[in-house]
Amino acid sequence: MKVAVFALDSVPPEMLFEKLLDKLPNTKRMYQRGMHGVLRTCHPPITVPAWMVMMTGKNPGKLGIYGFRHRKPSSYTEGYIVNSSHVKERTVWEILAEKGKRSIVIGIPPSYPVKHKENVTMVSCFLTPSQERDFTNPSELKQEILKITGGRYLFDVTFRVEDRERIKRELFEMTEKRFDIAEYLIKNNPWDLFILHEIGFDRLHHAFWKFFDPRHPKHIKGNEYERIDEEYYSMVDERIGRLMGMFPDDCITFFLSDHGSAPMMGAFCVNEWLESVGYLKFKQKPTNKVEIEKAEVDWSKTKAWGWGGYYARIFFNVAGREPNGIVPQEELEYEKKRLTQLIREIKDEDGRPMDNRVFEPESLYGIAMGDKPDLMVYFDNLRWRSAGTVGHNSIYLHENDTGPDDSVHSMNGIFLMYNPQKSYTERLVQVRAEDIAPTILSLFGLEGELKSIDGAVIREVKE
Amino acid sequence: MVKYTTVSIPLNLHRRIEKLLEGKTGFKSVSDYVTYVLREVVAMHETRQIPEPFSVEDLTELKRRLAALGYM
Repeated sequence: MKVAVFALDSVPPEMLFEKLLDKLPNTKRMYQRGMHGVLRTCHPPITVPAWMVMMTGKNPGKLGIYGFRHRKPSSYTEGYIVNSSHVKERTVWEILAEKGKRSIVIGIPPSYPVKHKENVTMVSCFLTPSQERDFTNPSELKQEILKITGGRYLFDVTFRVEDRERIKRELFEMTEKRFDIAEYLIKNNPWDLFILHEIGFDRLHHAFWKFFDPRHPKHIKGNEYERIDEEYYSMVDERIGRLMGMFPDDCITFFLSDHGSAPMMGAFCVNEWLESVGYLKFKQKPTNKVEIEKAEVDWSKTKAWGWGGYYARIFFNVAGREPNGIVPQEELEYEKKRLTQLIREIKDEDGRPMDNRVFEPESLYGIAMGDKPDLMVYFDNLRWRSAGTVGHNSIYLHENDTGPDDSVHSMNGIFLMYNPQKSYTERLVQVRAEDIAPTILSLFGLEGELKSIDGAVIREVKE
Repeated sequence: MVKYTTVSIPLNLHRRIEKLLEGKTGFKSVSDYVTYVLREVVAMHETRQIPEPFSVEDLTELKRRLAALGYM
């Protein structure tokens, strides 16, 4: 028995299971014979930590990972990038490796720096600075990969430039090469668990959503990229079909995604708003766009500030915690409640109420390790992203503050399971990100290996 | 299989943790909670010894890339 996982970053159920399903013969076959449903992702619905939540069965609070970047404790300006060393919990492939089972793991984030472990063949993720680095386990695999890919292996594409044709070219090249590598590894390595993560879907959505989705506020009918979603998904479907042709008959295959995608309505300038409600003061208010870390904030009069991203992280300026903290420890809870209330009352520029969600990490996770924010905010339930920059002289932006972007994240990812030896006739299931690790381990009879998990074995998988 | 051993903590602290866990999810017992907290503290100390995998140039480029990708 083997298990294969296609980790399709940011694929929403409505794209794979509805809009494009008829164009994807391999996916459709599995959809009709397997079981599928919505995968309710973690808070926050972001690539890091979502894949590690799936691969460890632990929620982000237990992992102590709340996004790609964390604030350095007590600092107003310093942050650090999360890397594989910050993942302290055992992943499914590490548990299997201890039992002598072998895994092939490609691109799951964060997996740089690559961990050199026995029984795990690994290619690291898109956080890898360049192909000059040690990005494979074993290290010598790197040369084979560079040989297969003609000396150019793309970990990622960068898209915040208006050169969409180049983005499209690189997107297809990156994904095709990743599948070339996957085929090579499957052919040349014994394996029990195979995981292939593809970031290309996420990049496709961010770069091209307004082109292919007529619902997007900026959609132009008849544009040249109107069917790029179909082209890209079809290419991946064909490559998946080819790869699955190499799997044995007793291989159970999963399609998973870490979050969904939706059209972006705009960016909410969290710091300009905090200033408007008296929580943030500038010594000198910037008149041009600048990151909050570089702005002249008057910390002696500032109670809270925020970070940008798909969700907002709010930090309070707490006495005894931050260098110039002014919120007394005993008033922190009151201030959190007061600010939460104010955030819930925010209206959009047309005066309509926004569906703003505010979370306190401890309440959300039970326990929140590591360098967490004081509050997490989803503006209009993630439809508006948070702008980390200031100097816009407005609270609402209709372009992303970091360049052109077309989509935001949503809480619903995909789950699809296909077992060639069984037919489930389109069975529908509901799963959570935390359920994936125990479910995969249960197929190997190892569900008892995970302690204190936040998920459970998906019952239908075991039936 | 993970093996376990026993450590002692003051009874009063045990009670405080029990109270803390009331209504919280994800922890089956005080031992569970203590294990997590200790792991965190140990990890924090270990992290100080983990070499930063990214050079200053890497970090500048990574931050630029992550901001461009909308994560910041």
